[in-house]
Amino acid sequence: MGTATSRPARQLAMVFDLNKCLGCQSCSIACKTLWTDGPGMESMWWNIVNTMPGGGTPRDVFSHGGGYRDGQPVPGKFPAQREYGEAWDFDQQAVFSGSERIPLHPRERDGSTPSWGPNWDEDLGGGVYPDSFFFYLQQICANCSKPACLEACPREGLYRREEDGIILIDEERCNGYRFCAEACPYKRIYFNPQRAVAQKCIACYPRLEAGVAPACVRQCPGRVRHIDYMDNKEGHPHKLVNEWKVALPLRPDFGTEPNVFYVPPLAPSAFNEGGEFDDTKRRIPAEYLREMFGPGVDAALETIEREREKTTRGESSELMDILISRDWNDLMGPFTQNPAELIRPPVTR
Amino acid sequence: MTAVTASRIVGARIAPTKDGPLGPLSAGWGAAVEVEVPLEPTPLEVQPSAYVRTAWADRKHGATPSVRAAAAVAGGVLHVRLRWKALNPRPAITDNNVFADACAVLFPLDGKGAELATMGDAAHPVQAWHWRAGTAIPFVIQATGLGTVTRQAPPHGVSVEATWNADEWSVVFSRPLEEQGVPIRGGATVPIGIAVWQGALEERAGLKSHTPGWLTLEVPA
Ligand code: SF4
Ligand code: SF4
Repeated sequence: MGTATSRPARQLAMVFDLNKCLGCQSCSIACKTLWTDGPGMESMWWNIVNTMPGGGTPRDVFSHGGGYRDGQPVPGKFPAQREYGEAWDFDQQAVFSGSERIPLHPRERDGSTPSWGPNWDEDLGGGVYPDSFFFYLQQICANCSKPACLEACPREGLYRREEDGIILIDEERCNGYRFCAEACPYKRIYFNPQRAVAQKCIACYPRLEAGVAPACVRQCPGRVRHIDYMDNKEGHPHKLVNEWKVALPLRPDFGTEPNVFYVPPLAPSAFNEGGEFDDTKRRIPAEYLREMFGPGVDAALETIEREREKTTRGESSELMDILISRDWNDLMGPFTQNPAELIRPPVTR
Repeated sequence: MTAVTASRIVGARIAPTKDGPLGPLSAGWGAAVEVEVPLEPTPLEVQPSAYVRTAWADRKHGATPSVRAAAAVAGGVLHVRLRWKALNPRPAITDNNVFADACAVLFPLDGKGAELATMGDAAHPVQAWHWRAGTAIPFVIQATGLGTVTRQAPPHGVSVEATWNADEWSVVFSRPLEEQGVPIRGGATVPIGIAVWQGALEERAGLKSHTPGWLTLEVPA
């Protein structure tokens, strides 16, 4: 409550490999169908994947304040629902049964045409042709070690689990004040207007407790997502973050010490004037990547390139083996249980 | 009745009418003395969140200068009415960044005494009846200090009715005298505090206008 909280006994961590993401949103749909299909949750995307550089979700996602500067909380804003993207209505009835030929047209609650939504500027990216570039950025709550959300709440509406560091909202205590949503610099807290409570990613903790990886991890066809406890020295997060130093926090300047880390995007080289690849020139500007992933990004990219060249030469590379994870169970640390093989209690709703 | 600035709310005894309980605009209120109660912004430095203290350091809160309060007992039920001007009413939570207007009355749980500025302490809890625009059921909450508020599950006997009329909210809290909870009985004198939140200014939680000290509510015998 309002003060820095002590570290949990164990911390769960994830690494998302930006070089492997297909932008398919299977993760987003897996989460949506599992957790956010209830009343008042229609427009929530606890997991969302956005094209970067781009506006993100909500629009201009990293410009709403929150987090910490010099250890002090930074005032933040909670953008309106349409800045995240409302749950649009579609004129399906008219399209299917109308006599005229009309296009399927999304509408906001007030009938107007949407001007923003999740992954709104899909695949636009940045750069100038032929050196255009983009990458997909997956975002969930990062279960930060300095959770600005939790520390902003004046009534202990959020808490951190000692056994894995997952930050949860206690809906019995939450009064819908939304200081947490203002304070989260990643804008990963949603608001349920029907129930007047804040809601966010819960790291699929009921699945974790049954040994099953989170839905976004298990459903990812790109094998983008690695999960384990950070204290497991053999686990992928520890290896990638602390040993190989190729997985970096997103916007470390926000000061919340997130526990989701990203393998930065390499992208192909830039072209030279003759229209040939120039292997000495990166296509994604270094300043942009440093802003996104901090000063460690240059060394991380060099390490990945070096290890990749090793495998090109036929040598072995532990780093490449981890990033590729030929056996997909290796991505999931201790959470390899197949949910289909669990004996499940009957669903009550 | 003319409103006067006062620290006492003297309840009137009103014969129950066949129209049911006293609503926000019931004519029966004409028999009660309505007093104008000055409010003040809650102090920012005691807010139990560094984020709130920082984010609101340069923002105004506590923008409701006063509230008009009256009390009456009809048919064994206590009614407390609060009326205040809200120039930009927020009658419901309609979006992420929309906050509803709200008000509350506060009592020491034992009906005798507790620290108002701290919302009580472990030995002396307080109880509040809290109305938020857009909801039909009041929250009855208890606290033993700032940031410790817990909600009491119904049935708690407290009901609320609110009307937006002529640029002002009229909110009536009602509770049978013999109900569990704060001992508000016929003939009792009970400390009472009042708070108002203006949704248009994003007031919520401890960011509100309040009576910095207790008033007294005199319940007719
Ligand atoms: S990502 Fe946001 S909501 Fe999640 S723990 Fe960090 S500050 Fe809180
Ligand atoms: S993280 Fe995986 S599931 Fe999600 S968009 Fe990328 S490839 Fe698809």
